[in-house]
Amino acid sequence: MREVNTKHVFPQDPNKTYGLMELMKGTKPTVGLQPDDMVFTWPHLLIRELVLFAIVVAGLLVAAFLFDAPLEEIANPNHPPNPAKAPWYFLGLQELVSYSAFVGGVLIPTLIVIGLMLIPFIDRKKIGIGKWFAKERALANGLFLTFLLVMGALIILGTYFRGANWSFVVPWE
Amino acid sequence: MATSQASTTLSLKEKAIAFFNTLYRALFRYGKMPQDAEGQSYAVFNNLFLHIHSVKVSKHSLRFTYTFGLGIIATCLFLVLVFTGVWLMFYYFPSATEAYNRMLDLRSSVDFGFVLRNIHKWAAELMVVFVILHMARVFFTGAYKPPREFNWVIGVLLLLLTFGLSFTGYLLPWDQLAFWAITVGTSIAGYAPVLGEPIRKFLLGADVVGQEALVRFYVLHVVILPGLLSIFLAIHFWRIRKDGGLSHPNENETPVKGTAQ
Amino acid sequence: MKKKHVRTQQPEIDRRTFLTALGWIGVGLSAAVAALGNLLYLKPAVDYGPPTLIRAGKPDEYKEGIKEVLENDRIAIVRDKKGFAAISVTCTHLGCTVRTSDAGFECPCHGSQFDNDGLVTGGPAPRPLDWYQVSVAPNGELEIDKSVKVTPGTFFTM
Repeated sequence: MREVNTKHVFPQDPNKTYGLMELMKGTKPTVGLQPDDMVFTWPHLLIRELVLFAIVVAGLLVAAFLFDAPLEEIANPNHPPNPAKAPWYFLGLQELVSYSAFVGGVLIPTLIVIGLMLIPFIDRKKIGIGKWFAKERALANGLFLTFLLVMGALIILGTYFRGANWSFVVPWE
Repeated sequence: MATSQASTTLSLKEKAIAFFNTLYRALFRYGKMPQDAEGQSYAVFNNLFLHIHSVKVSKHSLRFTYTFGLGIIATCLFLVLVFTGVWLMFYYFPSATEAYNRMLDLRSSVDFGFVLRNIHKWAAELMVVFVILHMARVFFTGAYKPPREFNWVIGVLLLLLTFGLSFTGYLLPWDQLAFWAITVGTSIAGYAPVLGEPIRKFLLGADVVGQEALVRFYVLHVVILPGLLSIFLAIHFWRIRKDGGLSHPNENETPVKGTAQ
Repeated sequence: MKKKHVRTQQPEIDRRTFLTALGWIGVGLSAAVAALGNLLYLKPAVDYGPPTLIRAGKPDEYKEGIKEVLENDRIAIVRDKKGFAAISVTCTHLGCTVRTSDAGFECPCHGSQFDNDGLVTGGPAPRPLDWYQVSVAPNGELEIDKSVKVTPGTFFTM
């Protein structure tokens, strides 16, 4: 190979599926030269997307005919239901709020959001990418799984195990 | 046929077909299903709606068990929600005295009203679920690592917007469930130091959940939050392309060893 | 090079940088002012909520030692030997409406309990129920001003 002091006009990123490599005169893009593990978006990806969309719509239609969305009595500020519950995805927070409103309702959610946003800036090592539960990332995956399980457990606790006066009840009794 | 004499003697039917062909080509450019590589490239490249995709994607990212299609399902649910949401707006009225009646009408009188409401409701619940599952997938496959850090942050924002949309939509039926869930939810916000009480007032427009809160939640639910979500969604998709498509094992600094190792 | 044209002291920032910075500060300030204006617009200025001044009938209508809840006004009128008081029935925990009980008040949502003076005796409520100012209107009716909070235990005497 001839040693040439080349400086790429367009920086090449090995992660990119395509990029601007050089400018040349021509009437059509050079195709058929990509690595072997690439396939055309049309039809391979788009067909999959269309099928998924169809399944989603079909599933929703079936669900809509089978299950009615809940609608209780008209809002009445004088008669709170017992217990009054937030939407299900906030019931984990409501469970925490029943211990301490500030810690559960403000501090922990704020820390969770900030923590989530900081994850990719803390864990930057390029290992275990593109693989489910990679062994190299056991610690990170374990921590996140624990986090999800705790949140899930709190939501289940708040949804099914909390009755009148927010006291502990067992749903199957 | 291609002679000039023949073209002047085209029948009316042939002229009409030629005209519609021209029109069709003007609209769609590539009429037939492209079978060759060039056509398949152009099909994506020249279409505004398909342009969010790159022309080629890695086979790895197409494996269903890699993504389980979670992000796409969440997107599909959002599209369904926009559609059914706009349709529901034709009958809904954000008034404390009228909203609940409109719910009853949707359920009993309006043709297919219950279907639209039910789809909207279940799609909304599922969207929260699938956005969370999508986030879990991205984490467990290490897909937030450089260069995708920023897209993860956008993703967290999208999760928050999804919660916001679901929460604001929760009040609109104006039933007991709605009223007390929002009373409890906004009271939680009131506990934030210094800003808590102003934020609560800001959301409710008054001291308690009432007509003002209903209008504010309605505007947030149908205009502001969906608008923000659409913008961030566009950035999210754009960044997927810019970051080289979905994550795949080739990006590891040390290649993942096979089972033989 | 001749040195006579070289300044002994270079300005820390040149004119171009300075003007650019000034321009950006102007843009930033304008954006901030615009954002503030928008926020102020959205801040509830007119109180469309329920009225804060409540006429609660003649004092004689209330017997001593009972708590009479005015549901729509979300207050309880309490008459005691010491006089009258108006206690909020909105739970200080998460805003549910409390119910009266023999011991005082209790919240059905998350189990907060309050005594007859609205002081917390149990549950997650962080502070006592609000007490509002009671006075007598010119027509002799009790008048409660929900915009004025008084310290718990402040009874109004005729």
